[in-house]
Amino acid sequence: MLHFILNRLWQSIILIFIVTIITFFLINLAPGGPSSLMRMDASEEERQALITRMGLDKPVIVRYGEWVKDALQGDLGVSLSSGQPVIQRVAERFPNTLRLASITLIFSVIVGIVLGIIAAIRRNKMSDYVVNFFSVIGLSVPSFWLAIMLILLFSVTLQWLPSSGVASENSALFEQFKYLFMPVIILSTSTLPTIVRFTRSSMLEVITQNYIRTARAKGAREFIVIYWHALRNALIPVVSIIGVLIPRLLGGAVIVESVFGWPGMGRLIVEAAQGRDYNLVMGVTVIVTVIVILSNFVVDMIYSKIDPRVKNVS
Amino acid sequence: MIKKPLGILLLVLVIVLSACSSGGNSTESPQKGNDSQESAQEGPKKGGQINIPIVGDPIFNPWHPNAYAESNLVNRIIFSGLTKPGEDLAPAPHLAETWEASEDGMIWTFHLRKDVKWHDGEQFTAEDVAFTFNEIVLDPDYGANGASNFKTVDHVEIVDEYTVNFHMKTPNAALPAYLGFNAEILPKHKLEGQDPWNLTSFNKEAPVGTGPFKIGKYISGQSVELVANPDFYAGEPYLDRVVFKIVPDANTQIAQALSGELDLFVVDDKAAIKRLENAKNLNVVANDTTKYFWISLNQENDLFTDVKVRQAFLHAIDRQAIIDTVLKGYGKIADAAITPNQSFYYTDQVTRYDYDPEKAKQLLAEAGWIDSDGDGILDKDGKKFSFLFEVAQQGDLEPVAQMVHQYLKSIGLDVQLKTLEWNTMIQKNVIQRDYEMILNWWTYPTDPDVFAQYYSGNAGKGNNIPGYKDEVLDELLLKGQQTSDPQERKEIYAEVQQYMSDTLPYLYLWYPQEISVSSTRLHGAPEMYMGGKLYYVNEFWVE
Repeated sequence: MLHFILNRLWQSIILIFIVTIITFFLINLAPGGPSSLMRMDASEEERQALITRMGLDKPVIVRYGEWVKDALQGDLGVSLSSGQPVIQRVAERFPNTLRLASITLIFSVIVGIVLGIIAAIRRNKMSDYVVNFFSVIGLSVPSFWLAIMLILLFSVTLQWLPSSGVASENSALFEQFKYLFMPVIILSTSTLPTIVRFTRSSMLEVITQNYIRTARAKGAREFIVIYWHALRNALIPVVSIIGVLIPRLLGGAVIVESVFGWPGMGRLIVEAAQGRDYNLVMGVTVIVTVIVILSNFVVDMIYSKIDPRVKNVS
Repeated sequence: MIKKPLGILLLVLVIVLSACSSGGNSTESPQKGNDSQESAQEGPKKGGQINIPIVGDPIFNPWHPNAYAESNLVNRIIFSGLTKPGEDLAPAPHLAETWEASEDGMIWTFHLRKDVKWHDGEQFTAEDVAFTFNEIVLDPDYGANGASNFKTVDHVEIVDEYTVNFHMKTPNAALPAYLGFNAEILPKHKLEGQDPWNLTSFNKEAPVGTGPFKIGKYISGQSVELVANPDFYAGEPYLDRVVFKIVPDANTQIAQALSGELDLFVVDDKAAIKRLENAKNLNVVANDTTKYFWISLNQENDLFTDVKVRQAFLHAIDRQAIIDTVLKGYGKIADAAITPNQSFYYTDQVTRYDYDPEKAKQLLAEAGWIDSDGDGILDKDGKKFSFLFEVAQQGDLEPVAQMVHQYLKSIGLDVQLKTLEWNTMIQKNVIQRDYEMILNWWTYPTDPDVFAQYYSGNAGKGNNIPGYKDEVLDELLLKGQQTSDPQERKEIYAEVQQYMSDTLPYLYLWYPQEISVSSTRLHGAPEMYMGGKLYYVNEFWVE
């Protein structure tokens, strides 16, 4: 196990390093820099003064070296657009994305597993078709369009829900729910259908196994057979998909947070890239990379715990 | 049994949403018309708040190099300039009560108000004005945003506690107008000895201004809540709060306006106007602005140096069709750089270029461009009339460029259209001047001084984007800048407009109208462009 952990740690460090190289050079070599974001009537002197102050007149390779040196000491620099430390800007936004992503994940897992089971045990019947139909719709419909449709329905027409923003930390649970409802629904379109389909196929495989037949033959109630004997084993592969869904959630957050004015990391990375805020882009990228690597690592660990076959292989 | 979980889920959803409805923030849309008019007749009421959307986090420092449009709106309310645009758009008193120029125009004296306090209780004095300009704006190392508007200022001298002299390098009659255009004064006692761009405790947390509202609560990525400043020199504002909601998505802004969550904003999406006009809780008004759209033909390129070629281009483009289709009628054909909202200076007595493709072909033929080999493309001395037309992905630019592209192709020009991301366009077209033909716009302080965009000395590096050099125009613009008598200036700028329409340094396309949307419960906002209204936010009130 120790060997496995050390191996993964080593791979992760190399991966983070590669990600920083690619991101740094991509964003720094993209046409237009902070000086091109100034007002169009900014003079040449004004633009040059900005470039000099930000140290952007040095070669990209030198700047990357400086960035790595600082980052290794835990300093991700200051945001070029606001002058605030990158860590501070991320810390302001991270809890919001964490809240949105974790609630979406919990919602997707619970609803996805239930719907997946329904689709599996009612295979080729109306319930299966309905669940499959909405899974395909969820995966296919552009989330920004669906988000606007939900806003028009729930905020404009019915005036039930606020169209954007987050509830303050001290507000009542119900108030928080109102702000979360639409973003969670939209963000779950990137995760829920996958869980449904995975659970369905996994359940279909399990319920044809001999031990399920044996359980039924022993007279166990159908509810016990499905939710106790079958589901426990069907869930094992579903756990592995959660690791894959976390980066998808963070990617989906970019659109959801922009449409719903949700002040999270997704919007921060968009603002940073549009504003050519090199330090902020790097900071957010590194942190997101670490989160994805960590979450995958945790999922792998859980997986190896619940499925002895994986442990044997590792 | 199997149907149950699905049914339960749906049931829960319905119950929860119904609960939202009963306990939610359902706001009844006020009736457009009578109710609103009745309230307006009752007079201003104290209290309440308005919500205004902005697209990103602001920086609370008007001169910060990263203070973009979203910052300008917020800073206009927190801080104050020496002047502000009057409702007639001429410079009106703000922190300065009166001003006058010396006879030779080399010194502008501003007499400041004596009853202005900073939000932290300190007294506003001439020291603050001198500090803002001498230590920040005029220091080239800082590269302050908008410092280029003050290139003609040498330094600011403190005459007494409430009087300052702006010493000029060359006379500039537009100075009072420029001082009312994103040129707010900063507090010396807060910024002295500090790096004005890296002082995040001021720029991102607790700015201190002299405006009608002061910082309340700022949540990054969500909102900026400003609270009324009871010590504002013109009296406490009627509103308790102005909240800038950070809503980056334009569609969400429209949805929020329809649901009554926003009170004032500008809509760019012309397709949404009808829906907004039909909403009972909203008023939609079009206002002229100090902005014009143009095509720039690079004057370093021999293809475009002949004025007949430029005139032919304008005859080939059906500008009215562009206005009617893409802009849904919200614009007027432009003929020169002075915008119609400056009614005192604007004139329509200029050379006009009607849509006439035949005349365009004729002018090109006079310039030597004919289709000698019958391939459908004009040529001259064996060279084809081929060029690249670049446009940024921004607002209406792309659909307009597609129409222009077709018009120019139809008269025998070989035009390739290429779209660029905005930052790339600025880098390539504006900073490096690497282009043949581009389409864009200018907006400038409401004063006819357009020296920066036309002066020969600014060709190739400054704001003279086409690189157009013309001594006659230079002389006229200098004369306009150095003349402070309005009547005399009017005559000079009439001549400027006529000359521009003849020589076409830029190809003038249209003067846009800004479509501002306001809630019917909002009163007291003057009839002017959105940014201008905010100078009068202390007079706003809500039902």
